Amino acid sequence: MKNNQGKYLVIGLVVLLVILHQDVWFWKSHEPKFGFMPVALLWHAGISVAASITWFIATKVAWPTFEENAPVEAAEATEENGS
Amino acid sequence: MTQLIIITIYLCLLLFLGVFAGKLFRGTSKDYMLASHSIGPFMLLMSLFGTTMTAFALVGSTGEAYKIGAGVYGLLASSSGIIHSLCFFVLGVKLWDLGRKYGYTTQIQYFRDRLESDKIGVILFPILVGLVIPYLLIGVMASGTVINSITEGAFKTAFAEHDYGIPPWLGSLVISIVVLIYVFFGGMRGTAMANTAQTIVFMILGLITFVVISSKLGGMAAATEEVVKKNPSKMMRAVHPDDEKSFNLKYAQWERLAEFNFAKKNKLVDELTPEQKKAAMKRYTGRDLPHKPLLAQANYAAEEQLFTLSVKQQNLARLQQDDRLYDEASLPKELIKHEALVTYKRAGGADAKGAASSKMIQSKIGHPDHFIDKKDKAKGKYWTRKKAKGVYRATSWSPDKPHPMNPWKFLTYFFVPLSVGMFPHLFQHWLTAKSADSFKLAVVAHPVFIMIVWVPCVLLGVWMTSAINPATGGPLIAPHFPPNAILPAAVKALTPDAMAGLLTAGILAAIMSSLDSQFLCVGTMFTTDIVTHYSKPGKYSDKQLIVIARMFIIGIVAVTYLFSLFEPRRVFTLGVWCFSGFSSLFPLILASLYWRRLTKAGAYAAVITAGASWLYLFRDSGYAANAEYDFLGVMPVATMTVLSTTSMIVVSLVTKPPSNATLKKFFSGVGSD
Repeated sequence: MKNNQGKYLVIGLVVLLVILHQDVWFWKSHEPKFGFMPVALLWHAGISVAASITWFIATKVAWPTFEENAPVEAAEATEENGS
Repeated sequence: MTQLIIITIYLCLLLFLGVFAGKLFRGTSKDYMLASHSIGPFMLLMSLFGTTMTAFALVGSTGEAYKIGAGVYGLLASSSGIIHSLCFFVLGVKLWDLGRKYGYTTQIQYFRDRLESDKIGVILFPILVGLVIPYLLIGVMASGTVINSITEGAFKTAFAEHDYGIPPWLGSLVISIVVLIYVFFGGMRGTAMANTAQTIVFMILGLITFVVISSKLGGMAAATEEVVKKNPSKMMRAVHPDDEKSFNLKYAQWERLAEFNFAKKNKLVDELTPEQKKAAMKRYTGRDLPHKPLLAQANYAAEEQLFTLSVKQQNLARLQQDDRLYDEASLPKELIKHEALVTYKRAGGADAKGAASSKMIQSKIGHPDHFIDKKDKAKGKYWTRKKAKGVYRATSWSPDKPHPMNPWKFLTYFFVPLSVGMFPHLFQHWLTAKSADSFKLAVVAHPVFIMIVWVPCVLLGVWMTSAINPATGGPLIAPHFPPNAILPAAVKALTPDAMAGLLTAGILAAIMSSLDSQFLCVGTMFTTDIVTHYSKPGKYSDKQLIVIARMFIIGIVAVTYLFSLFEPRRVFTLGVWCFSGFSSLFPLILASLYWRRLTKAGAYAAVITAGASWLYLFRDSGYAANAEYDFLGVMPVATMTVLSTTSMIVVSLVTKPPSNATLKKFFSGVGSD
């Protein structure tokens, strides 16, 4: 991770999404929004958009760094390991 | 026939794409299995998305929304948006890095190395392949159903027993062969290219389907208004009082029908006189249904107390009317209520037998394009066998009781999308990435892409609960309609032939874009984890390995195909069980990447616990026959995941930690011995 603050921000946002996902306050709402959209569907479509935004933030503040050109070892390391 | 021609052209184009990808093939098994790590961000997004969005997302989501309402989106779509990207981010990128460094092609190679255990592959291989089979089954089964539904009436005389359309067994077989051919020609590169093309096809055609169908229903607002009026519970996750009331009335009517039929069958009531029948019809105030005279007589007989039944007879009446299997000796002494009634297993093929025994229904079965009476077209066209079975179910079986969604079950559905972390085919897709940055687009766009596909499907499913057929003025979908057939039925009824063909191609595209990766993956696992691993280095050439992989794939597809010929399950239910198995192994992959203390023995404990608990609960659910199954009020996957995590942690903590060399290899900040 680039920094711990970014990591904690993303963890916080994911936890918030999980809490918002459990929308018991809309359990009994049956009147449509915008004339056609069930509330249960609209709220959760919003969660999907919020998830994309969260993951966009994650790619900016918590994306792992790798040595892209690091030397590549031979495969079949397992052959050496017995059980 | 138009639909059939369009589907055939689409399948030919797909074969052409596979052959074209084959021209780019570099001739090595690494290129065949991982496209030589050359897949960029856009193709990675499309192939990951296309692979995870299967028949489950289109056919399953529409069918399940029809059964349980709009809340189905929250059950799996929004949670998948959060969890899938989390898996790509937390697991995918890291595994890609390890795969690139150490040359892994499969999960098992990685686990053998990380856990310092050769035998872990022996136990994981059958479990992973065994769980891929139901996943394949979803696609194979759904493709047959979709093709059959959409091609009804395509032939003049052939396949009469399949409503003059392509039989499901043939549709499934053709789709399996087409996918096999393009996977064989193109390998991973062909799969990724076909996935990208097919994902674009199904997303565009899906949106067109939605627009066309909603306009046929009078617009989105009008379609929703019908639901609010007739089935308000489908708009929410609780049961609306109007639906509760409506169910109670329908169920009471059904009970009278069941008892009247039982009394007639057992000669406990005399045949009603013409006067009584006339009076019965006069009193009847219910809906104008095909079996209205019978309902009227049942009501009349009950009101006039023309017969009385003991509690045992009343129970037998209900069980027989609902085609339930029972042991007469162990029937309860009290009256069976609806909740208890549905716990008795329904006899397989009861609707077909019931329809075959009804003279009225039999007289109406024929070619769906021909009129019953050419001189009197008002009598309508002949019924398909599917419709005949539907009429039998709707007029004989007890009505479905509206169920509220359990908030705990809703919450524990979060465990299901964790399966993505352990899908072997996704592991392989992750390794195809050109760079770590290639993942970024997939991580960000995946939740919105899920929304683009699922929202229209869920809305369609909800609308189908209350939609009116513009051609007949009656309900478009009858009660007890098979959920797997809701989407093709809507497409068939509400779109012109040419468009229905294109839209079916879109549905098949979604199905095939998952099947291809899974086919390729099982072949890769077999050659890498079994054949190469247990043979001397250099024993098989690359070409021989590819042939072996293809043979194994054919074997697995044949097994899956045979399963698809048995009694079908709801796509959604089967999918959830398959994903649950993979989810219960999620703790293992997560711990292997982030918990240094994970030991070989801990991993064995997790795998064995996950496998055993899955088998036990799957059996307990009647092998997915009980779609409402839960365990201790929550999703079975929650129990399985908690058990596998606990056993993994406990056993790891009491066994010898991994060697320093392994820790150094997989974790940063570990010093040398």
